Amino acid sequence: MAVTPALTLWILAAGVVAGTFGATLGLGGGIFLVPFLHLALGLPITVAAAISLTTVIATSSSVTAARTGHRLINFRLGMTLEVATAAGSLAGGITAQLLSETTIRRLFAAFLAIVAVMMLRARNQQASFVAGNISSLLGIGGGVLKVPVLNAWCDVPLRAAAATSAFMIGVTASGGAIIYYGNGQIVPALAAAAVLGVQAGSWLGLRFGGHASNTALKLVMAAVMLIVAVVMTASGRP
Amino acid sequence: VRRDRSDDDRLDRIVHLVMRVGVGASGVLLALGLIGTLARPDWAASGALMTAGLIVLMATPVTRVAASIVEYSVERDWLFVALTSVVLVEIVGSVFAALVFHRRL
Repeated sequence: MAVTPALTLWILAAGVVAGTFGATLGLGGGIFLVPFLHLALGLPITVAAAISLTTVIATSSSVTAARTGHRLINFRLGMTLEVATAAGSLAGGITAQLLSETTIRRLFAAFLAIVAVMMLRARNQQASFVAGNISSLLGIGGGVLKVPVLNAWCDVPLRAAAATSAFMIGVTASGGAIIYYGNGQIVPALAAAAVLGVQAGSWLGLRFGGHASNTALKLVMAAVMLIVAVVMTASGRP
Repeated sequence: VRRDRSDDDRLDRIVHLVMRVGVGASGVLLALGLIGTLARPDWAASGALMTAGLIVLMATPVTRVAASIVEYSVERDWLFVALTSVVLVEIVGSVFAALVFHRRL
């Protein structure tokens, strides 16, 4: 894959947009970044997922740094659940190397559709292993699954659930990213552009974007995700 | 699962420090490398800077897990020493998987 300055700058800009939307909606942004890198910029979906995972580590680490000192992160609960998410992440990272691009693309499309429906409806309940597995496989943080789990199953208040989820996600994403890195699927210049873009975007989103309860924005994003899910399923790109 | 104890305040400070240093160092390395690549594509050091930045980034949560094991050992909280050790072993499993699938390492 040719790493041109134009491609690098496109990824930087995509990172800023994904980070801004992600922070505004209380997500990491991977769910927007992966389809864009794959469909618009034509990167293989495993490369898109790998790049996205590096941004997930950066977002998790900076959110954790910001949330420490406020007694929001439940370390013991987070570290207990990490036993399952890290196992899922390892399994997902290995699975991603074995499945075909088409299969992963269809899984991502199905996941997008599920998340879009979740954004429109109330909440859903999944297991931590599934969250870790999907995270590594599809290159997203999995906060979209973990926050409702912590909130509904583990009886953690929503703000603390979000902080604890962000804390856990870094370990999940590292486990997956290490496997992708070993397989040469993390292109340093592209990952650097994505990480810096998402960090800048998250900062912008938190500064100016208000908070997650923006119903209109959620509706628009859910619609966009459903369209992207259809395009990804139909797309013939290898 | 037990809720936070006062001992966790020290863990909180340790986690904060690890995350700040990891994000800061990797951000600087990635930014310098990326600017280098865009400004002078033939400059070999930019690739090394970005690779170093990515490794620091991937190592940040792993360092946090390792630091937690040490802190729980100091607290003599053996249940959490065991749980966090399992997490570390799983990450080491990822490193082994990376070696199996390696093209770069």
